[in-house]
Amino acid sequence: MIQTILDALSYGGLYGLAALGIGLVFGVMRLVNFAHGELIAIGAYLMIITIDLGLPLSIIIAVAGTAALALLMELSVFKRLRLAGPSVLLIASFGVSIFLQRSYEIIFGALPRSGQIAQWMSGVIEFGETTITRGSILTIILALALLAGMRFLVENTTLGLQIRAASSDFQTARLLGVRSNYVIGAAFVFSGVLAAAVAFVLVTQRGSVDPLFGVNITILALVGTVIGGLGSLQGAALGGFAVGATISLLNSFLGNYRVYTYTWLFILVIIVLLIRPSGLISNKAFKERA
Amino acid sequence: MANDHLPSRQLMGVTRFHWQQLLGPIVVVIAVSYLTSGVSASFSYLTEGALALLVMVLSLQVFIGNSGVLSFGQAAFAMVGGFASGLLTAPVKIKENVLDELWEPLKAINMGIWPSLAIAVLIGALFAFVTGLLLMRLSGLAAGIATFALLMVADNVFFNWKLIGPGPQVMPQVPKFAFVDESIVLTVIVIVVVYFFGISRRGRLLRATREDALAARALGASVWHLRVLFFTLSGGIAALSGAMYAHHAGAVTARDFYLGFTFITLAMLIIGGASSLWGAVVGTILVTAIGQVLLVLEGGVNFGSVEVTLPNGARGLVIAAALVVILIWRPKGVTGGKEFNLSFLNRRSSTRRHSQVERTDAKIDTMP
Repeated sequence: MIQTILDALSYGGLYGLAALGIGLVFGVMRLVNFAHGELIAIGAYLMIITIDLGLPLSIIIAVAGTAALALLMELSVFKRLRLAGPSVLLIASFGVSIFLQRSYEIIFGALPRSGQIAQWMSGVIEFGETTITRGSILTIILALALLAGMRFLVENTTLGLQIRAASSDFQTARLLGVRSNYVIGAAFVFSGVLAAAVAFVLVTQRGSVDPLFGVNITILALVGTVIGGLGSLQGAALGGFAVGATISLLNSFLGNYRVYTYTWLFILVIIVLLIRPSGLISNKAFKERA
Repeated sequence: MANDHLPSRQLMGVTRFHWQQLLGPIVVVIAVSYLTSGVSASFSYLTEGALALLVMVLSLQVFIGNSGVLSFGQAAFAMVGGFASGLLTAPVKIKENVLDELWEPLKAINMGIWPSLAIAVLIGALFAFVTGLLLMRLSGLAAGIATFALLMVADNVFFNWKLIGPGPQVMPQVPKFAFVDESIVLTVIVIVVVYFFGISRRGRLLRATREDALAARALGASVWHLRVLFFTLSGGIAALSGAMYAHHAGAVTARDFYLGFTFITLAMLIIGGASSLWGAVVGTILVTAIGQVLLVLEGGVNFGSVEVTLPNGARGLVIAAALVVILIWRPKGVTGGKEFNLSFLNRRSSTRRHSQVERTDAKIDTMP
């Protein structure tokens, strides 16, 4: 029982981090970024390739590389699509995602690359009858720390104020002197940093990386962002958490039928969207006008 | 930021019947199909596959192009159609030997390709109708994500439920079309249907809802009714595409209709131009041609003394890059969203003058 709850929390935390990364960018430019998964993948690739330099350096390289790729995405593609609507942006990011997947296939090969990263994470701690993996505890701590960090950044800094302003009403924020390209660029960089954190947790769990490494979690986090609430950062993180926790709980309760976890999850997603099309926690400025 | 609600100054999509606009794409499809399939047996096989994809792109066009609502769900209906037609036509012995968990009545049933195609279309349309009743309440991004969720549910169910299909296995021994002609006939029928639905009163009303939902409501259009109607039509056509694919490949699996399939058909539609039937045809031909050239290059080709070999993955890379570049530089696709027109060349200079206006207007979701 404790293990079930902890698993749900750690899954939820991980998906919450991924969803927050997507939500940050969505907030400032209404882009549902499919290519977030490829940011996670590059983080994992960089970590596995540079692990011989020692874990701290490897993590720094991965974070820097992921943030750089996120910024590159914005400058080369999304900056040129400022006039496009959300559906066009979604399709464009789908294109970027496939482009990067194939690039990884060409650069790193189609087969998984394995590497041992922070093996102590897979160790277990025993409390009487329940065993808890160190990884799941660390994931919860990491998620909480990053969420707190993001919260501080968004609530207590000028840049955060600008991001919040741009998220709630982009046009007015621009009129009031918020530099839109700077704010959007910053949102991409932060989403890259969050992607690297997700990559770290995932790569310690799986021990290998392939070109499709980030696809699965991104689909789920993206759905979490949308059902959590369009344009609200808390909503995105909560939505991601809800999706992750639901998957974990469904996995434990469905037993032999756990292969149908996604069926139930996505049916729930459709129901949530039908009841609240603009998400559980909706931001009025983002309610799409009918 | 985006203004999703700017009505286009120049309304896209046909409004009146023009022989040229219907016959142009038909003649091009027939001519290209026979030319390429005449080259060799493998080209004939390739042409059949491309025609199945074209039918899928037309299914996307008739819904996305006319309604302006993004939908990822059509691949789910293609999956339904492919499995239905595959199961109905595969030999009883094969089903008994390979698919032992299959529902008994499905094991026993066996019919020819043509009736199975009809049943596949009906089942696909029925699924689209039932899901559309709910999903077409949504628009904009919520519709995109909800239809995406539908695809995920379909994939998960078909991949695991062995009572209604092969599950994670391949459904083998699906009878193949004997000639490329069957695929051509089916594609031409779909083009005619899509064209006449496009110019029908309801088609024009649906495009009106795409441009300005409030004004369209004032004209008495029910956005929901119109979208459900076209979603159902689109689902039937998508199911036909899945069935055509099954009878082309001779086998079918759930993963044939997953993200890769969704991406390539969506790319074809956008690259060609989502708001016209001609765009769907041009996009499919272009992407297939580029894909084939790159596939050959991936295998290695000698140009005189220089051997050129592209790495695996180059195909997807180039097509994805083309999609992004088109979205940035020519968001209405290479056809500019216009229907087939022979006077195209003379008009070039005048369209260029208007290109600035069109750019801002060009978007799929004018109607969130």
